Amino acid sequence: MTKTSYALNKVLTAIARQHLRKDALTDEELAGQRLSEAEQAALKAGDITALYHLGANPYLIRRVFRSRFTV
Amino acid sequence: MAEIVAAALTSHAPLITGKPDIAKPEQREQLYAGFAELRRRVAAARPDLIVMFVNDHIQSFPYSNMPAFCIGLADSYPAPSAGASKLMQIAPRHVRGAPEWGMALLESGLAAGFDFAYSYELESWDELAVPLHFLLPEATVPIVPVYTNCAAPPLPSVRRCHQMGGFVGEFVRSRARAERVAVVATGGVSHWVGTPETGRINPEFDHWLLDHVARADIEPILALTHDEIERDAGNGGQEIRNWVAALGAVPGWKGDVLAYEPVAEWITGCATVWVHS
Repeated sequence: MTKTSYALNKVLTAIARQHLRKDALTDEELAGQRLSEAEQAALKAGDITALYHLGANPYLIRRVFRSRFTV
Repeated sequence: MAEIVAAALTSHAPLITGKPDIAKPEQREQLYAGFAELRRRVAAARPDLIVMFVNDHIQSFPYSNMPAFCIGLADSYPAPSAGASKLMQIAPRHVRGAPEWGMALLESGLAAGFDFAYSYELESWDELAVPLHFLLPEATVPIVPVYTNCAAPPLPSVRRCHQMGGFVGEFVRSRARAERVAVVATGGVSHWVGTPETGRINPEFDHWLLDHVARADIEPILALTHDEIERDAGNGGQEIRNWVAALGAVPGWKGDVLAYEPVAEWITGCATVWVHS
């Protein structure tokens, strides 16, 4: 079954559609979002591998956290 | 009577135009030459309209509303938008749409049991901008984009995408007007984007696919599952659904691979293919 997190993708979509790039997200940016503790931690750390395994869309991970990729 | 006068398959990736200099010159020039030849052949076919089989990248369709298939009914399409322009190094521009033609396709589909979604407002990413930069630099021919969900699983099956393209082909040939229609599909070939394997390309899969396209040996492609594509061609490889849809519109037509380069710097197996009867 497909693993996807609507909460993560909602946050990332809003940033990607503004063509913004981030190294990590802040508490302020995550306020009011219905994220699990693990999802919040991954977003605040800019942990692209954790985000992938938590069900974030990889295109959105790439768009938002472009600076975290070595290629 | 309307007819399909040209068919082409290409890759799309922002870096193809955004960072041309980071690619090996010989690879870049091979691919650019492939695009140039495709442009020449499409122009020689004198299409009145281009049906673009493409996919969104969570730019137009958020997770709150994710259609499997969606027909564009806009008067024009940003290719690229102002926001995407900087990354792709292509000046913002709009390509003319053909909303009446798209509406006719939509209504025909609904009547026949093909329940397309539709949209009057699409903000493209690289799926239109990069290939049209090469194929339609003057934006002289209107387009009708047909979007397939290739980026936000679960996705429509490869076989269903072929059926969808087959329906579009039948629709074209059913038109009483003397229209000359080109079909262009963009996406793929193998690439891993945003996953822990980002940057991987699998030329073995790409050659397998291209060889089958060249022979019009479609059945092994239609049998591919989502998981097999993810394993062998990456999440970006799921975009071959667009190719399959285009091939469905022109059953029996064979591919002429003009260029294939696994460009590591662009993290994409890049191809241009002319498809002919």
